Amino acid sequence: MKDIFKFSQQPKFENPSLIVGWNKDAGQLSPRVIEYLNKKINGRSFCDIEPVDFFSLVGVAVEKDIAQFPEGKFYYCEKSDLVIFKGSEPEFERYRFLDAVSDLAQHHCRIKHLYTINSTISSIAHTNSRKIFAVFNKTEFQKELRGYDLEDMNWQGTPAISSYLLWVAQRKDIPGVSLWTQIPFYLAAGEDFQAIKQTLSFLDNRFNLELDLKDMDEQTQSQNAKIDQLRQEDTEINRCIGALESGLSLSEEEQLGLIKAVSEFLEFGKS
Amino acid sequence: MAVKFYKEPELENSIMFCGWPGIGNIGILAIDTLKGLLRAQEFGEIEPWDFFDPYSVSIEKGLLKSLEFPSNKFYFQRIKDRDLLFFIGQQQPSELGTRYAQGQKAYQMANLVLDVAEKFGCRRVYTSGAAVTKIHHTAKPRVWAVPNNQNLAKEIKQYQNTILMSEIEGRGDQGAITGLNGLLLGVARKRGLEAVCLMGEIPYYLQAAPWPYPKASKSVLEVITGILGLKVDLSAMEELGQKIEQQIEDFLESLYNTEAIPPEVRDEIEKLRYIEPTELGPITEEEQKKIMEHIDELFDQGGRTDERHL
Repeated sequence: MKDIFKFSQQPKFENPSLIVGWNKDAGQLSPRVIEYLNKKINGRSFCDIEPVDFFSLVGVAVEKDIAQFPEGKFYYCEKSDLVIFKGSEPEFERYRFLDAVSDLAQHHCRIKHLYTINSTISSIAHTNSRKIFAVFNKTEFQKELRGYDLEDMNWQGTPAISSYLLWVAQRKDIPGVSLWTQIPFYLAAGEDFQAIKQTLSFLDNRFNLELDLKDMDEQTQSQNAKIDQLRQEDTEINRCIGALESGLSLSEEEQLGLIKAVSEFLEFGKS
Repeated sequence: MAVKFYKEPELENSIMFCGWPGIGNIGILAIDTLKGLLRAQEFGEIEPWDFFDPYSVSIEKGLLKSLEFPSNKFYFQRIKDRDLLFFIGQQQPSELGTRYAQGQKAYQMANLVLDVAEKFGCRRVYTSGAAVTKIHHTAKPRVWAVPNNQNLAKEIKQYQNTILMSEIEGRGDQGAITGLNGLLLGVARKRGLEAVCLMGEIPYYLQAAPWPYPKASKSVLEVITGILGLKVDLSAMEELGQKIEQQIEDFLESLYNTEAIPPEVRDEIEKLRYIEPTELGPITEEEQKKIMEHIDELFDQGGRTDERHL
């Protein structure tokens, strides 16, 4: 483990929960939730994962003009007794990576629960409320979180990294849940502030963080106002969003048109 | 990185047969069929997560039910006082995203398989795969055999419908075996363990086809059952072979009719219909290039979905 991890501090943990977020996610949900949370609760970095075994490192990727580099960082907030992990999805040795993350969380931090933060792209309108779907690795933990307005997920298909982590945690007897907050498909390329807020609200309730989420409300209102303007200017877009609001589905062509129009109007990819 | 055993059968002087997906799934189809016909019992598996990513998750009513990985299982059976071991891998491990095993993971897996072979008294290992060559799909495929020591070559010459590299026109005694089939031969040689790779011939224009090639698997199986002195019913594989052959005929006919491939490639393929396999040399680089440019591209468009399901 010492080859993989580089410790910068040795905080004393109580009995924390671990919240895991990934650097890439639809609607930027996972990274934004983690960044916001870290900032609000003053999470301090205490450990880094050395990338060499898990990423190709043939150079650096440049995204939105900025050079990127794979990261995997643990943070701790003593006051709220939360450990936060924010990382890039490993390209290689995924099992070893997840095994190491959960090992450190279990044996070094002595976590009691694992939470992963993710979005799920849905055929809903931005004006609809966002549901949070949940996947648990233990029935007892599922029962414990009844009353938090989580929806049970049903799914069979290719596993995401969070499902893989949840499975690794299950093998180590760590109770865990993957949270999947809905994102309207036409906001997936940008940021969905309402979904980010919804997820933060859940964490706020669960951990009594007393977060002030007014700024999230403001950003949601501002984004919604811009989309309203687009609806007024473009009757076809208004019809498509109206159909989604009524629970109707759109054709593939209509969906692509809506994604293109909203992305261009909100200038996704330019910020 | 471990092997998990459900039971530990007491075996002596066993022979191991290994099958993995590859071109035409010739090896895995042959070995898996034999395993099924002999009703071999599963007794262990290589834990997959160090080698493969999961390919499916099952979530029901908010609960994680299972995560599925490509399996790598061991089976055994005693037939006529002879102990047989089988290893069936659903995928070849690779670190570089290639279709065939290579790199450290492949070497580790080859060693794990041979650890099990030696633990259960194995004295010889057979692997199986494809020999891509100039043969027509209506011809009976021969089996190319590559042993990992000189002493085995003499024995191989007694096998029916089987040839050594040196007997193939124009090839000399040179060649290469990609993936785990080759690697296992080499690692076995390093350990002083006998190993032979049996490769069923497949037409070079079908090397990227998404279908299995049961005719070649059947040829391999005939050789193996001959070695073991077994009589098994291969009629199901014969039928499957005929069905696939018809599918290939129809597919090529549609390519000829729509002129999806140039006439010279069609002529090359059709010329093979009337030539005995023994008269054919290896594929030249030029032929390989033509195929890559025309037919492989057509197959690639359709994807390669067969391998995981086998």
